[in-house]
Order: sequence, then structure tokens, then C-alpha cells
Amino acid sequence: MRIVVAIKQVLDPRGFTVNRKAEKIFVNREEWITNPADLCALEAALALKDKLGAEVIVLSGGPARAGDALRDAWARGANRAIHLSDKAFASADGSVAARILAKTVSKLGDVDMVLCGDKAIDTGAGEVGPRLAEALGWPQVLGALDVTVVDGHVRAVRANGKEYVTLEAGLPAMVTVSAGANKQRYPHGGRIMDSYRQYQPEVWTASDLGLSEDELNPVMDNRGQSYPPERQRGTILGSPEELVRLLKRNRVV
Amino acid sequence: MDFSLNEEQQMFRDMFRSFAQKEIAKAAEHTDKNEQVPPELLSKAAEQGMLGALVPDTLGGAALDPISYALLMEEIGRACLSTAAVIACHTSLATQAVLDFGSEEQKERWLPALASGDVMGAFAQSEPDAGSDTRTLTTRAQRTDSGYVLNGVKTWVMNAGIAGLFVVVASSTPRANGRGLSVFLVEKDTPGLKLGQRELTLGLRGASVHTVYLDNVHVPEANRLGAEGDGQTIAASVLDHFRLAMAAAGLGLGVAAVEAGVKFAAERVQFGGPIANKQAIQNYIADSSAQVEALRYLVYHTAWEAEHGGHLSSGALYAKLFAAQATRFVTDRMVQVHGGYGYIEDYPIARMYRNARALDLLGGTGEMMRVGIACNLFKSQQLEIAP
Amino acid sequence: MDFTFAPEYVALRKMLREFAEEEVRPLAKTIDREHRVPHETLKKGAKIGLLGVPFPTKYGGMGAGETGYCIMMEEIGRVCTSTATNIGAHIGIGAMAIYMDGTEAQKEKYLTPLASGEKIAAFALTEPNAGSDAAGIRTRAVREGDSYFLDGSKIYITNGPIADIVSVLAVTDSSLGARGGVTAFIVETAWEGFKVGTLENKMGIRGSSTSELIFDNLRVPQENILGQIGLGFVTFMKTLDLGRVSLGAACLGGAQAALEAAMQWAKARNQFGTYIAAKQSIQWMVADIACEIEALRSLVYRTAWMVDSHKPFSREAAMCKLYGSEVASRAINKALQIHGALGYSRDHPIERAWRDARIAEIFEGTNEIQRIVIASELFQEIGVRVRP
Repeated sequence: MRIVVAIKQVLDPRGFTVNRKAEKIFVNREEWITNPADLCALEAALALKDKLGAEVIVLSGGPARAGDALRDAWARGANRAIHLSDKAFASADGSVAARILAKTVSKLGDVDMVLCGDKAIDTGAGEVGPRLAEALGWPQVLGALDVTVVDGHVRAVRANGKEYVTLEAGLPAMVTVSAGANKQRYPHGGRIMDSYRQYQPEVWTASDLGLSEDELNPVMDNRGQSYPPERQRGTILGSPEELVRLLKRNRVV
Repeated sequence: MDFSLNEEQQMFRDMFRSFAQKEIAKAAEHTDKNEQVPPELLSKAAEQGMLGALVPDTLGGAALDPISYALLMEEIGRACLSTAAVIACHTSLATQAVLDFGSEEQKERWLPALASGDVMGAFAQSEPDAGSDTRTLTTRAQRTDSGYVLNGVKTWVMNAGIAGLFVVVASSTPRANGRGLSVFLVEKDTPGLKLGQRELTLGLRGASVHTVYLDNVHVPEANRLGAEGDGQTIAASVLDHFRLAMAAAGLGLGVAAVEAGVKFAAERVQFGGPIANKQAIQNYIADSSAQVEALRYLVYHTAWEAEHGGHLSSGALYAKLFAAQATRFVTDRMVQVHGGYGYIEDYPIARMYRNARALDLLGGTGEMMRVGIACNLFKSQQLEIAP
Repeated sequence: MDFTFAPEYVALRKMLREFAEEEVRPLAKTIDREHRVPHETLKKGAKIGLLGVPFPTKYGGMGAGETGYCIMMEEIGRVCTSTATNIGAHIGIGAMAIYMDGTEAQKEKYLTPLASGEKIAAFALTEPNAGSDAAGIRTRAVREGDSYFLDGSKIYITNGPIADIVSVLAVTDSSLGARGGVTAFIVETAWEGFKVGTLENKMGIRGSSTSELIFDNLRVPQENILGQIGLGFVTFMKTLDLGRVSLGAACLGGAQAALEAAMQWAKARNQFGTYIAAKQSIQWMVADIACEIEALRSLVYRTAWMVDSHKPFSREAAMCKLYGSEVASRAINKALQIHGALGYSRDHPIERAWRDARIAEIFEGTNEIQRIVIASELFQEIGVRVRP
């Protein structure tokens, strides 16, 4: 069984503070960590490796420092770690990232499952997983807390408010895992040492993947970021008529 | 200058030393392990008049002069600092408050019981948000028809577990910037007075320290000590007494520690002879001894001043500040002289080391002693120093 | 000069920090109160190579050298001195003696299970009459055929009650004294004639077990001689020398923890209308602690580098231990003072840290011995012979 895990690095929130007034992030200590939900996805994959002898391949985009995240993934037990590295990838948005990952999965071949974190703690967009599933034409299960394989199906448990729901999908499938889904194993220290001394992540470029410039154009344009406006004090209304009047006055209807 | 003790003081010293070495020192390990000064020991000490050290003999006390009291605290501290703390708290904080600020009726009502040890005293001032900064006291004393009702939480109340009488500092006029505090005598069984959890401590484990809750505690007007607004003055005054008492006890501890170190160094043979032959060991002991000597004169000079000038305040600050530093240094060096044995609780020096550490904290931290000293010094320049 | 850690050490420290926070810190108070060893932590640690950090991977270790070992001791020392003590005695002196002077066969047989944490090691040198004067030991090892029979006792042995394998120093020829008359042995605690004696009631590091070890006609095969017959003192002193560096690292961790705690409290605690961090008395203490930590950090990691680079390190190692233990004591004492009365309460970690710190100036060679080592080496360089 071949499982691909997609991870990315985010700024360690313990190293920065956000100033609401200035609408700016002040980085006191720049440190990059693997997105927590992605670590959960990796742990879920490694659990399947332990149980079923699956092969786990970890992918990550990003600048040179992504190498640390990949080595960490390898130290934790991944069989292979691939850095999707190209200057042309720098402007990627969620759709482009999904496209790059889809091409990689296709190129690897025989992939049974893709696992990734459901959301990143920086953007909180949660779009790469679903876009990737669409690009591959695979079923998608989102926000899993537990992932198992039963009779050639992936079975995922997720929380729906107060209850747990179990979903099944045929393989190959794309499953996103929520942060807090599991407690990650500690990598053996010797493997951490080896991850730098003996090991080198593979590097794949845009041309390795056969991606054209057009395919790497983002569909979204980031025009800026700001805080949502402060929540206004509400007004308690007396009657439905009052509500209708207010809605009309504010041109909501 | 005559530095000798008079005949009476010498007699007292010998008496105190004999009792302390025979009874208190013997129980010191047990007191620490069981985290309690044996009640029988306190009774015996009471029989000797030690719990009513400064109370006039007409009211059942021993009527000691300040120097003799310092001699008493030195001997007790030399035997067991936990016991010294329990007694100092009872005598110099609770009993002293009644003695110096009580009305004739209050004195007659409370001093005999305190002096005999029938009632042990505790002093409740600190609060969760009011440690070094006592202006932020929030325990409230509200006037009622017959007196006051107290509400609040007091922390670090030493002797709380054994006290029959609590001397409580509360705010009778809020936001009066230190002039709004008053002191109340609250008996143990007063409804609404409750002991919270015991604080287990690094040292002075024989003293029971608790959080005390005051939940609508009604006290009659007759239980107020001094006038409304006198709280700051009363607290400051008794704390000075307590500081000197603990400094004297610390002196005793220092004496005991050096003694233990000298004995050990003379007996322990390594490298072909007693370690007393090693210069490093000699240095530790000499430096420790010098500190103890200096502390001795600081303590007794302050006690002498208390007797002659009446005003204890600045001497007490110096004495406690120095006692804390000196005893920490001395016990630390004497632990080092003992080597591995100094880390095993079977040997008294380990306990002395833990106990000594309290001196830089209780009765006001060393930092507050420094603030007080600086304050006094800058007064001469007409400069008001605030912490 | 490059003062940065190689990326594998940065990654290792990150993992160890997580392990320390998640697995070690939660038990620190409990093991102190209950006076017990955190076996569960040692087992978890063994799984990630914690009990064999410096040893080569071929012996089941992590292959992280002295630098990696110091990083581990710093991270563990930062959250729990007792746990650091258990691990330090196991790796730094117990197993290390075998690593330094063991034969290949001895390393395969004993070092591998120790490095993987399957077995626990101890180091038995001290006796009632031989503390700083280690040459005064009296435990005898009498030869009979192809075995030696050990008789005597050791005291204050860390891990004594939990060890499977103990490196023991005994007298093989009393006429020769320390030079030529003393031999080191690898002893299995399961052997007949080995007994654990009194468990010591210590002021601190109560999550670490220290006891007397008694040898009563204990048979040791000659294959278990560690190093050369008669030269056991050399093996033991060499081992102790190296152990000092990582002890300095553990003290560094403890001092760092004290600084962090003091600063957090100074920020949170309000008196006199503001946080106490605004007071110079507090600021001065924090600044002084921080300076000493920086100096100690440089000293420890430079010495670790000297060890890993196979340079002589004896004097610097003694400095690591001497300075480290005193820096930790000063830092923790100041941090306790910053906490005020709260620092005296057994509910607060700083109280435990204060009791735990004191032993560092005494064990592994008292600070007096460290000063003698340092002074001896310095004077030797200018032709002066200094004796203890």
C-alpha cells in the first residue's frame, strides 16, 4: 500500500504576536514548524505503515527550509521525502498547490491514499485537500480524527458537533486529518541525527513534473489582509414588523 | 562600653540554654519530619515562662528585658528554628500587639492566657495580592451596631493550626492610603473564621502555616486593638519585634551550624588527616564564624537600643537583613563542609540549611528590609523613598 | 569559529524539549513527593534513544556524541533534576566507564543493552571512608582461579536500587595503593552476593534513588575486569572527568528554568502599583542570572566540542561542573527570592529546584575537588606540583 502525505511549514505562533491596532504581525522569534494538522496526518499514515506495512511518501513545497520539515518527517518514519522545489512554485495559491501535488501523485503512481492536514494555522483556508481530490478525481473525506483501512476501503471517523460519524470511501481516496486527532510519536534521536548526516530529501522541479507556466498561474490575487471589524453592539427588537422595517431601511431586502 | 551580660542575663542565658539543649534540640528532627512542634514541648516551654517572655509578671509573664529575650530566642534558634519561629510569632507578633496596643481590659483578658500558653497567638496580615505591599490589603472590616464584620482571605498565617487567638489586620476605611487599617482580635471559634489548606514549606516545617478565611466574622468593638486607623502603626511595630526575635534565632542557628561544621571537620578523615587541615575548610569555617560574630553584636546592640531608646525600627531591619544573609552563607558553607552527609536528612545541617532560607522571606523579604533602610537614610536628605 | 549548532542538533533539541515538556515535567512534583524513580519515563525515553545519547549507533546509542548528550541533559535538567540525575548516572558514569575502557566483547554484551535502555547502570566508587579521598576505598577483590571475589560496601550510589549493571572499583593489591593496586569490575546485580543496602533520605533529587551497595563474597569472572588490572583508578577518574561536562549541562538547564520562572512571576506579580519586574532589585537579579547562564552555556558547549574533537578537556570539564553547580545554585536562589513566600512553599516548583540544586556542588566530586583539579593543572603548566 502506498500513502502520500502532503505537509507544509507555518510560522511557530509562539514566536510572534499580533497587534490588532497596527493590524500587523510582529515576529519576535522566527521559527518554522510543520503545520500541526499535517503532523497528525503523518502520524495517521505512519500508524497505517506500522499496521499494514504501507509505504509512506511525504511531499512538501516551500523554500529551502522545507528540507527541515521533510527530514523531520523522514526521522519520524516516512520511507521517502520529496521537496517540490522550483522558483516558479513561489507564487502558488491553493489551486496551484493542488495541481502540483496532483501531478506528483500521478507521477509517483500506484498511490492508494493521500493524507494531509485539514487546515493550516496560517491561512485556515482548508482548500488544498478538496482541490487535490477533485484534480485527481478521487473521493474526499474531510476532518478525520481516525483513519483505518478495512477491506480495501478507507474508514474515517470525524466529529460532527457532539457526535462521531464514520465515513467510508473506496480507494484511492484523499483524506484530510484534523489537528489534535492523535498524539505523535517521538522520532528516535538516532534517526534525527541520521536525517541530516545520512539522508537527503529528493528534489522535484516544475520540469520534473512537466508543469507549464500557465498551469502555475494562481487564480487568486492577495490584495491585503485586515482584521474583521469589531463586532457591533446588537439591538434587541420588539416585533417582526420592526425587523422587516430595519431590513428594508438597511437595504438588506 | 560594657559588652558583658549582667548577672541576671547570664543566669537567664544558662537556663534557656539548658532547657533548649535538653528539650528542644532533642525534638528538632522529629519536629521537622512530623511537621509539628510537639504540643508537650510547647507546654514545657510555657511552664518555663518562655511563651510569656515579655508579658509583665503581674499578668503571668516572665517580664524579660529585650536583651534577655534575645538570649532566649538565640538559644531556641540554636536548638530548632521551627520552634523559634512558632514562639517568636506567638510572642513578638500576637502577644506584643496586645501588650503594646491593648487597653487595660484587653491586656487583662488576653495576656495571662497568652503568657501561659493556654492560648497560642497568630498574626494575619498577608493576603494573596498583598505581600510586600500591605497597602493593597482588601480584608474588609465594616462597622456594625456592636462592632465590626470582617470579610477576606489571609495567607501565610503562621501558627494558624495551633492558635486560639488571631490578630487580624483589616481595612476599616478603604482607599485611605495606609491610614485605613485597623487591628482586630479574633478568637478561633468565632463563626466564619475558617482555616484553609496548610502550606507545606521548604523549611520551618514544625510551624503550621495556613490560609485563613474570614467569612462574615463578627467581632465586638472591644476586640479592636487601638483606634481605627492604627493598623499600619501596630503592624509595623510588632513586625519590628518579630524581626529582631528571628534575627536572634538566626544567630542561634548560625552558632549551631558552625559548631556542627567544626565538629565534623575535626572528625572526618580524608587524605590522611582530618579535613580541618585543609585550608579551604578552614576558610569556610572562619568566614562563617566571622559572620556569626558580626550578627551577634548587631542583634544585641539592637536589643540594647530597644531597652534604652525604645525605638527598635532601624536596628530590626539591619538585624534581619544581615541575619538572613549570614545564616544562608553559614549553613550553605557548613553543608559543603559535611560533603555528601550534608545532603542527607539524617544530619541536622541539611535541616538547618532549609530552615535558614526562611529568614530572607518571613517578617518581610530582604528586599523590603533594604527599602526600609534606604528610606531611613534618605530621610536625612528630606527625600521620601517609596518602594 | 562557528557558534551555531549543526541542524541535526537543533532538530534533536526540539524533539527533546517536547519530550521533556510532555513526558518529564508532569511527573517532576510527584516523584519528589512520592520519593520514587520515574520508571515510566525511563521506558518511554529508552524508546527514542534517551538512555544512550552519546554512544555510537553500533552499540544501540543515538550517535550524538558529547554535544548531543549535553543538549539532552540540559533539556531534561530544565524540567526535572531528579530525572536528569537518574539518566546522568546511567549514561555519564555507569555505562560510560564501559564505553571508555571496555573490550569489544564487553561493549557488545553490556553497553548495547544499556544504551538501548533495556538495562540500567550505576557507578560504585564512594565508601564511608572514601569520599573525596577516593584512594581510601577498602572494598576487596580477591583472586581465586579465574574469578575474583568482592567483599565490602559502597555508599551514596545513584541508581543503586535500580541498576542491572554496576561498574565497581575494588582493591586487588593493598600493598600497591591507588597506583597499581585497584581494579575496576563490571558487576551484574543479579549475581549472588550482591545486595542493595540502606536507601538514603536526601534533601532533594528525591525522584532519584541513592543507596548503599553490599558485596558479600560476590563472584566476578575475570572477563569482567574493566580496563587493566591494577589500573582501575585511571578508568574511574577518566570516567568521572567526562561526566562533569554533562553535569554542567544539566545545571545549565536548571538555571535556565529558574530564569524563565522568575521572569514570568516578575511579570505576573503586582505589588506597589505595578509588576515587580519594574523594580531594580528584581531586574538586577534577572540580569545577573542571565549573564551567568550565557557564560555557562558557552563553557559547556565549547567543552563538549573539545570532547567530540578529541582534544584534552579535563580542566574545562572540572570548570563546567564547578561553575555550573554554582551558577545553578545562585540562579535558583535568586529565583526563589523573586517568588517571595511562594518560593518557600512545597507547592511551587522553585522550592523543589532549590533542594535539588544543592547536591550538584557535592556529588561527582565536590567543588573543592574540582578546584584542586583546576589549580593542579594550571600550576603544572608553570612547573609547580600541587597536591590535594
